[in-house]
Amino acid sequence: SSHEHKLNFGKSKEMCLNFIQDAMLQKQWNRAAEFLTFYAEALEKDFSRDYMGPSEIIWRIGTEILCHHSHSGMKEFNSFIEQMKTFGVKRYLKVCLEHSFHLLCNGLVDEAYQNLSLAESWRFGEHTAIRDKEIKLIQAYKGLLDYYSWSKQKNILLEHDEDEFEDLSVEQEMHSYFRKAAVNLKEIIKIPGVWDIFVKCYVDLLEFYGDDEEARQVLSEYAYNSKFPANPNAHVYFYQFLKRHGESKKSLISALKILHDLVPSHELMINFNTMLQKSKKRKNRRLGLQVIFAVLDYAGWKENVKAWSCLARQVKQIVISDKHPDWIEQEWDSRKDWWPAFHFSHYLAKKNWQENKSLSYEKALVAGIILGKDCKYFRYVSHQGCKAQAKKFRILKKFVNKHIPVHLRISG
Amino acid sequence: MEFPATLFPSSFSTGPPRDEGGPAPAAGWGEYGQVLEAGRGHHQAETRFVPRHGRTGESWEPADVAAVPFLPPNATCWLPLLAPQDILYRSFLHRKLQASISGPAVDFTKQLSHFFVDHPEDAFGSLGCLLHKNFHLGDSGVKREARDNTIRMTALMEEINRLDARRGCPQKYLASRLRWFSHLSRDWLFEVPIGLLADCVHEELLLQWAGLLFDDGPTGGALAWLPAEDTGARTGRLVYPGGQAMNHLYFQDVVLKELPSARGSPAEFELNGRIRQVAAARTNGEDFVGVRSDYHCGIWRVPGRTGAAPTPLQVIRTSMPASCLTVSPHIPGELAVCTQSGSTYLWNIEKGLQRLRHDSQTMFFRDHSPWRWCDFTAHPRVLSCADRTGLQCLDARAPERCQLDLFKVGEEASCQQGERVVLPMYLGRAHPSQHLVTTQFSMYVVDERLPLVPVLKWLHMMKAPPLFAHLTPGDPGRSHKLLLGASRTQEMMLLQYQGGGQLACRLVGPPQKLHTITGCLEHFPTQLPHRHCLLQQRLGIPAAGLAAVLQKHGPRESLLVFQLSEAGDIFCQRLTHEVAQPLARTSGDKPTAAPGSSPLFEDPASSPQHLGSEEEKEEEEEDEQTSYLSNLEVMINEEEDGGRPAFLEEAELTQEPCASPQPSPVVLSEAVALRYRRWLKALSKRCGEPPWPSCPTTCGQKRLFTREELQTQAGPSILHQQARQRMHQAMREGGRIQCWDLLDSQSSAILKPPEPVEGPDSLSARLTAAWSGDWSQWWEERTSFYRTQRQRALRERRRRQKRARGRRSLSASFTSSLTYQSELSELSDTGLPPLSPTPPQEGFPPRGSPPPSPVPDEALLSSQSLRIRGIPKERRKTLRDYLGVWTESPLEPPELPSSQVSQLCIPSSQSQLSSASQTRRKRPRMGF
Repeated sequence: SSHEHKLNFGKSKEMCLNFIQDAMLQKQWNRAAEFLTFYAEALEKDFSRDYMGPSEIIWRIGTEILCHHSHSGMKEFNSFIEQMKTFGVKRYLKVCLEHSFHLLCNGLVDEAYQNLSLAESWRFGEHTAIRDKEIKLIQAYKGLLDYYSWSKQKNILLEHDEDEFEDLSVEQEMHSYFRKAAVNLKEIIKIPGVWDIFVKCYVDLLEFYGDDEEARQVLSEYAYNSKFPANPNAHVYFYQFLKRHGESKKSLISALKILHDLVPSHELMINFNTMLQKSKKRKNRRLGLQVIFAVLDYAGWKENVKAWSCLARQVKQIVISDKHPDWIEQEWDSRKDWWPAFHFSHYLAKKNWQENKSLSYEKALVAGIILGKDCKYFRYVSHQGCKAQAKKFRILKKFVNKHIPVHLRISG
Repeated sequence: MEFPATLFPSSFSTGPPRDEGGPAPAAGWGEYGQVLEAGRGHHQAETRFVPRHGRTGESWEPADVAAVPFLPPNATCWLPLLAPQDILYRSFLHRKLQASISGPAVDFTKQLSHFFVDHPEDAFGSLGCLLHKNFHLGDSGVKREARDNTIRMTALMEEINRLDARRGCPQKYLASRLRWFSHLSRDWLFEVPIGLLADCVHEELLLQWAGLLFDDGPTGGALAWLPAEDTGARTGRLVYPGGQAMNHLYFQDVVLKELPSARGSPAEFELNGRIRQVAAARTNGEDFVGVRSDYHCGIWRVPGRTGAAPTPLQVIRTSMPASCLTVSPHIPGELAVCTQSGSTYLWNIEKGLQRLRHDSQTMFFRDHSPWRWCDFTAHPRVLSCADRTGLQCLDARAPERCQLDLFKVGEEASCQQGERVVLPMYLGRAHPSQHLVTTQFSMYVVDERLPLVPVLKWLHMMKAPPLFAHLTPGDPGRSHKLLLGASRTQEMMLLQYQGGGQLACRLVGPPQKLHTITGCLEHFPTQLPHRHCLLQQRLGIPAAGLAAVLQKHGPRESLLVFQLSEAGDIFCQRLTHEVAQPLARTSGDKPTAAPGSSPLFEDPASSPQHLGSEEEKEEEEEDEQTSYLSNLEVMINEEEDGGRPAFLEEAELTQEPCASPQPSPVVLSEAVALRYRRWLKALSKRCGEPPWPSCPTTCGQKRLFTREELQTQAGPSILHQQARQRMHQAMREGGRIQCWDLLDSQSSAILKPPEPVEGPDSLSARLTAAWSGDWSQWWEERTSFYRTQRQRALRERRRRQKRARGRRSLSASFTSSLTYQSELSELSDTGLPPLSPTPPQEGFPPRGSPPPSPVPDEALLSSQSLRIRGIPKERRKTLRDYLGVWTESPLEPPELPSSQVSQLCIPSSQSQLSSASQTRRKRPRMGF
């Protein structure tokens, strides 16, 4: 019967948990809280070797309820979490970290900092990989808060730059914040991961103290280390760093070229395209055309006037100069079977004309040159444009009619 | 396409998943995940932080207490679902097998034996033909001249027949003769070699078992909503499967009102197989609808304007079942198809099929599942291909060369062990480069531009893996609403998330559970138990798809969610955006009995409001009666339905009091209640009555009379009418009928628990006495009672010996609650009012005589009246005895030995059949 008892106990525990979950999923926080008080009794008999024991469940559910419960404040929350911290050694760091997140989200930065410092000094329990990761993360967030304090001090100093009687203590304090932040931030960005915010802060610190070499190394490591995930931001940061420091066009182009290979639809590609178009090298101009064509492959850019005008300008340039129509031809080759339906359908002509005239102008120019004057898109837009007495569109029509041979070459 | 300037921090490592675990019950709660500073200016003193798993989101409150039937029930010939006990061993063998074999012990021998018995021609046909001359099965001996090529099999047959009788005997052994025969014939007797057949059956059963555990056929869902072209119009079109085998495709125009309603009759197409998936996408102002069945995929074009007819465009046939069909949101008439052989095709209606990949192996590690999926990405030529182990992007222009790992089940996404991809979906309408990936444990949002690292992860805590998903994109600055739906448990979960462009992707607000079809059960009018059971089964059928529509009218927004079941029933529910709601309800902690948001209630003339307030009043009184009252449910003859008195409708509006700890608002709006009733009516009409598969087969005594024999020619009797009148009156007053005694009708209102019929058994009487505390008194009475009882018993026996005939046993059946239903059905057809559980002696006033007497009317039993009714002479006597039983002493029944009673209690199957074959009526029933 003791077995049966245990079985019943387990069953009612499970049922209670189901009720709690049900109430929470229907946002009935008061009800869930009532059930949770019953469920808490289950803790007494927690011999389970389950993946997630009742104490973790109580922590998770309790936190969630307290966040939504109408009668709970920060005081109740803190006291609940303090209790939870004592429940399990294994979860201590995680609970601490989540607690500081809660404090941070509620604007209690100082309390969060204290919390993180406490957690950092925790020395109990066995060392595991997860634990190491957690402690690194705790230190990193602490470093981040140090950085914010540093930047606050820095702003004070910058504001009072004129005043000569600036005491040294503020400056010293700032430097001590710098040291604390730098140590912790440096550690976390060695581990593979997405550490955008930490990297940005660390680089800011380094740049302020003039350690550009270290900053460059950190950024290039973050961008090009193959152990790290292919994070577009890493390349963006590197590019921005190069630009800030007035690096050569060549290195900028090569940084963006790598970003282009990774994320052809990135917004920096527009800048990249203009940069390449201005270039004197043929190779770069060619790449520019590739880049802008690739950008417009993506659904997200479909109605972007800027991108279309970039393409229109370059196509027009090529047609007028009559130098490299084969570039267009080659780009068009892999797109001819789907761009007409994707970009240049009759429906889209109507829609673009209604919604954005300048977009339809740019698109009509590209369509007219590449697909010829019989293309549905061009025909509709030029017809509507001429009807609306817009000079721009009459010129467009003339231009396309003049350059029919280009179209014939491309499509032929 | 902007990319977030800073992403939430996360560590990254590669390799197989390390996190052991499994489904943890509360894993999705209580975590912020990570935090990120939100828009800090350099000169701003305060730094604000936003969490990855935010706690505040838009609040969407359900407008009704349960999902509402949207369309009449599908006329499906519905078979009960396969249950584990149908295909697994359930005997001692099971335990034995379980000990030795891991995995399910599939009972293929049972299936084989069914096959041999049901289809002997197919199993042994040709050998049977060949041998029947040589086998002699008669009792007589084989003639001498035939003895050379004929053997006598009679003994063998007897042996086989005896086998049945010996079943259950622990010492059963096969007779040597049988063993000899089976050994001899094993190789040649069967049409299909027995080993091969058994293998195939076993394999099939294992497949069935796998399907029972997890069926990925309906992945993606078979319900689609096509919005009207102009967003202001409150119309749209619902595409769904239906029909007996779910092989009809319907396009139904829908008008969105408070409750959506169908307009006109749907466009219908009959297809060549069960529809598994319906996918739709709008390109260039036209909707393209892809339909997947096991071996066929088809595409329809639906012009955007309302009323335009859908046109079928193309069909392809696959040699292996297709597992996926998605429609391109970029290029009209383009689809992606996957088959279980591991092939992925791009299908363009103009250019035909292009095979992108063929690989029977899974991508990242080995998994046995042949399931494949494929969807579109932000680049119209790049497709994302998925199997259970992850997602890969490949370029249709160079599928072999251009590949990119998008999502991997592993440490990269910090997956758990055993986690598998269940449903990927392109979230292009929210952000062009986002994808949803669901597994049985978690949901992930993946960004194409940051492969392998999910930008969002959340443990969804659903009991069954989410096979359906629907995205309702939010306007800039608003959250995107993501609906996840499971099949087996019908769960639906609403999540909200934001970001992907300027800001990093994050979850906003807690998840929310939506109503399921099963949850409607308690809101249907109460049914007879077997019908209730059937309704429960019908509503509990796994879900087959979901769709949602966002409606904006002025400041109010509502999200209409449709859910389709595998039986083809469509239910819908509405969620309203709280802020815009004029009467904001505090989020459901204390359910109020006050009517909800339905405008019907604003009408002062409408009755439910009145009823609701009355109920509140009664609740205050804390009268026990209230609970009875709200339980009061009336089933009415169907033919009466047309001219149904208004109070009955009212009566049905009251819901049963909260028996479960689930607090649900008490009152349904009338329009909703009406829908329930109509749906139920249509269900019983369409799906026919007789083949109730769940109806317990009962056996027992043969029926005495047919219904016709007992029926009066002259319509409903006065008594019948009176009874009906009284019942109506009682319902109007909200009282109850304690006994059918017409004179007594006004006297008492409170129903006491039914007194046990005097001395049904001494034990319960004694316990009752002990309970109420006067046990000693009982004992006193008992001793004196025994004396009188013995005397009476002696007298009784003598009297009985005199009669010494007739079957009086039916009387016993009245004491049984098990059987009152079927008995009732016959009795009330005779024009007698139905029974209440009060003793029959009181309960049956004789027909036609308002002042009741405890004896049945002589007129009823007179041979003349029986003759008029056409009852044959030989039966009249029995009938008289039968009816006479009621007048007998109440002490009589307990004297029957208990075993006999229980045996006799069971009503005859014949009588059940007869009542079922009549036009089945719902009868007034009270107090249960």
